Amino acid sequence: MSSNDTTMTRTTASVFNFSSLIKRDRFAGLIVILLIIAALQVASLFAPDYIAPPPLLIAEKLWTQILPLWDEILVTLIRLLVALVFAMVVGTVLGVVMGMLPGLRPYIRSLVVIDTGIPALSWMLIAVFWFKEPEIRIFFIMSVILIPFYALNVFDGIRALPKEWLEMCESFRPSRWQVLRYLILPHIVAYVFTTTRSVIGYATRMVIFAELIASAVGIGAQMGLAQANFDIAAVFAWTLLLVVLNILSQSLVAVLEKRVLSYRPEVEVR
Amino acid sequence: MNMHADFSPVETQEPAILIDQVNKQFGAVTAIENLSFHVNRGEIVSFLGRTGAGKSTALNLIMGNMSPTSGRVRVMGMDPNKDFRKLRRTISVGFQTDRLLPWRTAIENVELGLQILHYHKAEIREKAREWLARVNLADAADLYPHELSGGMRQRVSLARALAIDPEILLLDECFSQLDHVTSQTLRSDVSAVIREYRKTCLFITHRIDDAIEMADRILVLGAPARLLLEVSPTPEDRTDRDKFQLLHDKIADALGVDS
Repeated sequence: MSSNDTTMTRTTASVFNFSSLIKRDRFAGLIVILLIIAALQVASLFAPDYIAPPPLLIAEKLWTQILPLWDEILVTLIRLLVALVFAMVVGTVLGVVMGMLPGLRPYIRSLVVIDTGIPALSWMLIAVFWFKEPEIRIFFIMSVILIPFYALNVFDGIRALPKEWLEMCESFRPSRWQVLRYLILPHIVAYVFTTTRSVIGYATRMVIFAELIASAVGIGAQMGLAQANFDIAAVFAWTLLLVVLNILSQSLVAVLEKRVLSYRPEVEVR
Repeated sequence: MNMHADFSPVETQEPAILIDQVNKQFGAVTAIENLSFHVNRGEIVSFLGRTGAGKSTALNLIMGNMSPTSGRVRVMGMDPNKDFRKLRRTISVGFQTDRLLPWRTAIENVELGLQILHYHKAEIREKAREWLARVNLADAADLYPHELSGGMRQRVSLARALAIDPEILLLDECFSQLDHVTSQTLRSDVSAVIREYRKTCLFITHRIDDAIEMADRILVLGAPARLLLEVSPTPEDRTDRDKFQLLHDKIADALGVDS
């Protein structure tokens, strides 16, 4: 190969690497974060601190005031986890019942559809009236909001079950329980993961909202306090923390999903 | 007889499969018209007909997935629809497509029927390994379906059907999705296994070659499903090229297709 050819190959390779780099999610995410920080810095030059605090002040708040409140953060995360697991179990059971018991299907589906039509704020206000204990309020709010997502997606999963698999399974003349155990439950695992991934961000927002309305402890309550003190830098710092927590929880679910559903081939569309 | 499984094979002197003056209507459409035939125990019978001849409907009647509009269907002397659960372990099916469960490895797919029949855990693994080896897939036990070729997947599927040691094996065009060479190899392997274990087999196909090479008796169906011709190929029909062609032409004539 001549030196010219080598140079050309290198140039092509470096162009290719750069083009693949700018398409990467992490690279794009980093660029967007830098742009947001720059925009905030520029805004802070023209607006007072209580409107647009400089990024350094937000970072300082995060480090000195927010992170030491780890117990508040932990409370929110535990509330989120407990509600998510409960909604997953109850929603999956409801979805399976809808999928396997046609007699009960229209009743449960109507109940779930009505539930999805009720605004989250209504549930929060109702919870404040109904329950005295903040933990029960938040658990109730999160459950009624999240259960329909699991129920409807699991039901969709059962409807999408290939009829051929069912016929194959039934050729061994199994009991209803065996069909559930060997066919339906493994099949809906993918749907449960997809639901979890899609609701985790929404659930995080809802738990913060519920804490703001119905509790004096947790990230939502702390954000309410920051708002009452006109401490916008703290609001930004809490928000930053929530974004990081959300990305981490999404990544955790994605890793679990990849591990549990390792049987699925990786498909890449050109 | 396996003492560990919760169901024992049905013992009766009646033919393995009996279809007696059966009609099956779907609304105004007649799928099966006055069909009668039987399959003796240990016999390999091929069901040959063009697409839409009602072969799959007949299979569903035998499997007990539906009941006839009129007439009598018996499997080992029992009504397969009414006595659905009693025929556990008696019937097993090899389908047109492999129908492997993607979350199970090859060996776990073979284990499915054994698990449903409550075999002991150790016995399940042992039998599944034995049947995978029998279909020449011992090395592929831990591979997932997407890692297997079409022929390998179909072998796993047949191992799954045979692993429960059924009295009757129903094969529904299970070689038709494969290329000619794979289909021929697999057909000859399965045929050898069925004869070795003296299984009763009803083999549904639309390929005349498959039927002649595999069956003791061929039932040619017209549409709607009714018997047009019944022939029993001799060993010479399979080995002698002219005789094979003669029988092939006779069946093709009955089916109304170009040989």
